[in-house]
Amino acid sequence: MSGTAPGDFASPRGPAPGSQAPGGGVPLRLAERAVGAPFSLRARREVLYCLVSVPLGLAGCVVIAWILAPSLAVAGSVVGTVVGLLGIVLVLSIARRLGGLYRRVAAWLLDEQIAAPQPFRRPAGSIIVRLDARLRDAAAWRAIGYTLLRLPLAFGQYLALAFWACGLADLSYPLWWPLFRNPSPGAGLSPVSAATPPPFGSFVHATSWGGSLLVAIFGAVLLLIAPWLTRGVVTADRWLARSLLGPGTLSQRVRDLEQARARLVDDSVALLRQVERDLHDGAQVRLAAMAMNLGMAKEKLGADGQPPDVQRARELVDAAHLGAKEALVELRELVRGIHPPVLEVGLAEALATLAAGSAIPVRVTADLPQRPTPAIETIAYFCAAELLANATKHSGANQIDISAEIIDSERTSVLRLGVCDDGLGGADPARGSGLAGLERRVGSVDGRLSVSSPPGGPTQITVELPMKA
Amino acid sequence: MMRVVIAEDAALLREGLTRLLEERGHEVCAAVSDGDALLAAVAEHKPDVAVVDIRMPPTHTDEGLRAALRLRQDHRDTGVLVFSQYIETRYAARLLAGNAAGVGYLLKDRVADVADFVAALTRVADGGTALDPEVVSQLFRASRHADGLATLTRRERDVLALMAEGRSNAGISAALVISGGAVEKHVASIFGKLGLPPSEGDNRRVLAVLRYLGG
Repeated sequence: MSGTAPGDFASPRGPAPGSQAPGGGVPLRLAERAVGAPFSLRARREVLYCLVSVPLGLAGCVVIAWILAPSLAVAGSVVGTVVGLLGIVLVLSIARRLGGLYRRVAAWLLDEQIAAPQPFRRPAGSIIVRLDARLRDAAAWRAIGYTLLRLPLAFGQYLALAFWACGLADLSYPLWWPLFRNPSPGAGLSPVSAATPPPFGSFVHATSWGGSLLVAIFGAVLLLIAPWLTRGVVTADRWLARSLLGPGTLSQRVRDLEQARARLVDDSVALLRQVERDLHDGAQVRLAAMAMNLGMAKEKLGADGQPPDVQRARELVDAAHLGAKEALVELRELVRGIHPPVLEVGLAEALATLAAGSAIPVRVTADLPQRPTPAIETIAYFCAAELLANATKHSGANQIDISAEIIDSERTSVLRLGVCDDGLGGADPARGSGLAGLERRVGSVDGRLSVSSPPGGPTQITVELPMKA
Repeated sequence: MMRVVIAEDAALLREGLTRLLEERGHEVCAAVSDGDALLAAVAEHKPDVAVVDIRMPPTHTDEGLRAALRLRQDHRDTGVLVFSQYIETRYAARLLAGNAAGVGYLLKDRVADVADFVAALTRVADGGTALDPEVVSQLFRASRHADGLATLTRRERDVLALMAEGRSNAGISAALVISGGAVEKHVASIFGKLGLPPSEGDNRRVLAVLRYLGG
């Protein structure tokens, strides 16, 4: 069935360098790794990363420094405060975007998957409150830190690239020497220097073809050093990116959790109020009316003997009977909305029931060898219900696929729920409040919701939840 | 007169049902409150029909359904009416599972219409079928054969729904207030339009209709 879950396209990964070294002594393997390093896939990727990274890092650094420095300078003065603060806010939002760009580059070239920090949530309230929230956006400040640290990194990357370039150039000396350096015998030629990475002065020179061979050996040495230098610089970059562009430090995490908890409490209070209102306006009213009708009917029937008004009593009992049946229907709906009873049996069963009630044909595939905790099952169920309702209402789809599976990775297992329809597409969490609400609910247990819905469809929405809240 | 075993954990409803059935002259052999007691009571009394609540102790999930499925297997002469606060189409599918004889699945709400409820129970006791209108309307909504269903007239859809509930021609004619002959004509027309083979007997007919709707 729907084989379009994003995770299905697991990217093929090249083997780590040296991982397939054949048998032999340890020193032999080490030597093989050292010699093989320049030719490994990893080295090529890292060189490519440096090539992309140097200009990108410099540009980001320049942009940030260029706005940040004057903003900070101006913000201190009385007059310039507003301008300075606006400048800082601008830098912060640029830094967040740059952070995203750097994360994507790292994911693309280094296969370094860094989770994005919590998106910035604009709080409701006055401009001061919003400004304050912006200025306290730790993820953005960390992104600024990373962007500025790219400057020394860019130097390191540049150096690594220089080792590669000079090494290759030096290696070529013996090839072109006979073409250009073919003087008549006896003519004195000034020595030619080997290409040397910039901070080092050139110290290898050649005056003859034999000398050029020496240069070539020097180049080979540079090339042997280059991959390890590159790896060092890139590893430092990886570490910085992970710690500065990721979801954040412990304290940041605590703050995010506090926010999530506050939202959760708000949501549950709102839900309770909704239930209270539904009961108050619905079943309670019906029961009151029913009791009243029965009370009146009792009166009409009299205490004993011949009832004074049988006809009227019958009508009243009829009305009470009808009211009781309506109250039952209403309560059943309400109960289902709070917690669908079938969920006790399992998520797969609940999804199948959900599908059975849909106006558009739904295919369900569920592969759930373990059961997530009840809270997670409930969230998954309500996500599916909401997404199904959305698809039915907005997409104009002819077919909906729901999948639920457990994805095991080394460290943890996640429940992945996919809802895919062949409708019009164009679903956007930023616009529809329903999707944003779901995102919040999923986020409250550290889950993720991703939407792929190009105009014209199809829409694929994936919800990933931990196995326990 | 029917001999009935009731399994229902809510005492109020258990006693209410007992009184309701006894007032109508039926015999309630046992009224129990969980699945194991139900199986024991049925084995002991061999009733005509058992009324079974889905949610019962100890887990309050689906033990009633599981007990009902056991009864369907082990006591073929006892009809089983599953009686629940909510309707799950999947439960209905599991209960029927290729055999519509002596099985029912109704919302608890239906007890409010006493005569209808007792009629459904009698049908199940006699080896017939009683499916809740809610199940049937869910089947209609989710049916893959929307095109086929669209060819039916309104009246024919009503008749089809009542057939799916498990009613006999007499039951249908009473429910829709039309003559028996009219019902037969509608039934023939429905089977013709949907391309269903004419089937002998109410049970076969229910299965054919449900298979069509569920397929």
